[in-house]
Amino acid sequence: MQMFLTLLVNGLIIGGIYGLIALGYSLIYRASGLMSFVQGDMVTVGAYLGITFYVVLNLPILVSLILTFACSFLLGMILEKGVIRNLLKKNVMPIYVVLSTIAISYIIQNTAQAFYGSTAQTFPQVFSKPTLTIFGITAQTEAYVCLLLSVVMMVVLHFFMTKTRFGTAMRSSAMDPLAAESCGINTSLSTGITWGLAASIAALAGMMLGPMYGVYTTLGSTIGRKGFAGAVVGGYGNMYGAMVGGMILGLAETFVSGYVDATYRNQLAYIILILFLFIKPTGIFNEKAIQDV
Amino acid sequence: MAKMLELIDFHYYYGNIHSVKGVNLEVEEGEIVTLIGANGAGKTTTMQSISGLTARRGVVGKILFKGKEIQNFNGYKVAGLGIAQSLEGRHVFAKLTVEENLMMGAYLRKDTKNIKEDLKDVYRRFPRLEERRTQMAGTLSGGEQQMLAMGRALVSRPTLMLLDEPSLGLAPLITKEIFVAVRDINKDGTTILFVEQNSKIALNTASRGYVMQTGEIVMSDTSENLMANEEVKKAYLGG
Repeated sequence: MQMFLTLLVNGLIIGGIYGLIALGYSLIYRASGLMSFVQGDMVTVGAYLGITFYVVLNLPILVSLILTFACSFLLGMILEKGVIRNLLKKNVMPIYVVLSTIAISYIIQNTAQAFYGSTAQTFPQVFSKPTLTIFGITAQTEAYVCLLLSVVMMVVLHFFMTKTRFGTAMRSSAMDPLAAESCGINTSLSTGITWGLAASIAALAGMMLGPMYGVYTTLGSTIGRKGFAGAVVGGYGNMYGAMVGGMILGLAETFVSGYVDATYRNQLAYIILILFLFIKPTGIFNEKAIQDV
Repeated sequence: MAKMLELIDFHYYYGNIHSVKGVNLEVEEGEIVTLIGANGAGKTTTMQSISGLTARRGVVGKILFKGKEIQNFNGYKVAGLGIAQSLEGRHVFAKLTVEENLMMGAYLRKDTKNIKEDLKDVYRRFPRLEERRTQMAGTLSGGEQQMLAMGRALVSRPTLMLLDEPSLGLAPLITKEIFVAVRDINKDGTTILFVEQNSKIALNTASRGYVMQTGEIVMSDTSENLMANEEVKKAYLGG
């Protein structure tokens, strides 16, 4: 029982991270109809920004979080406004736009390596108490905080997107840009903000991962892209599907490595991804982005 | 009467395709005017260009709203001036509820307190929408979606309302109902320019009409005169 609960908590912690990253993939798909490979690397960017603000500049953790959020938000918006929008304007086929995001992904990875070196950096402990025991389950304090923050962010995002005027307007412009524009919604700004939001959520996830996993240039491609798998499993383009899909992958991974063999940990998410594409391409939330033919 | 809308030698190009070729059109304050013509004549391009919903680089010529040039404005800016459009094909937000759709129509309104009143006004005009307030717009019938598209345009309190093919795909009875509402909206003080494929009902509703053919205005007159015109009768009113 103890082992089960420990695995459950660990699964939810990493699952929450996958869920946040998956959310970004889904938001971007909804707004632009594209898959962005940069989304995974925003995790790396967030982790390094976190180190820069918290360790190098020695700023308080909360300030570092806010700055990481703001910087990555801008980066996401610049990516959309500077690259994606301009390519789409030139009537480039969507697949090439997606390919351009692969190029940017490598630019980010290699830039991070040039600045911070290829060895993994450790993100120092944030809290004075190294571990926390809740209901008899002991885990790193940062891990618990990470789970809490993931859930809080998901709830906040849900309320923002469904209960606020601006959030509803963002969903409207994703649903029907022509109609949204005719209602007075600046759809171009709305798309930019969506990319910014997707980037900043992933970056915060990356910063939270730091103390648990260390910070290295391929953090995004090893962990961030599992978020993509989570988004597909949940139903690509569906916000709630992304959260649930991410959680499921996190739990599956943790339970398989706990009860079966940790060797398969990093393949599992992608095996589940392929299985879903074959059996239920519309995902758990039955989103029609990937049609069942 | 002051000129509300004026198109002066308006052209539209989709790349190399010259789809609207020098349209001159006027709508005066308080008027209800129709634009009729066959499919592909350029009516929707004209309507969406007024609203700033077509690519701005394709526009040549002038579009004036209350004397001010707006042909370079983006869609959301035109909406801010008080021009609302019920789009061809309705374009309701399928995964928002009826009420959320209406709230999006009021997106630019600063006087949030009065929006409730305008929702009530829409529900008074279209009682069926009130019954379906919490339903997803995608589940509505075609007629109800048309009412919603018009309601969404109304709650922005437009001074000029554009309606593109309000009767498209609707049964005759519902078409009638829609046009009763159109007339009422105009009577209550909103200037209206509308495109309609059912020329008979269009000319019966509007006070003046423009006839568009392959990108050009070929005739413009009062509705009465157009209805009496032999050419119009033959081409658009079924003999």
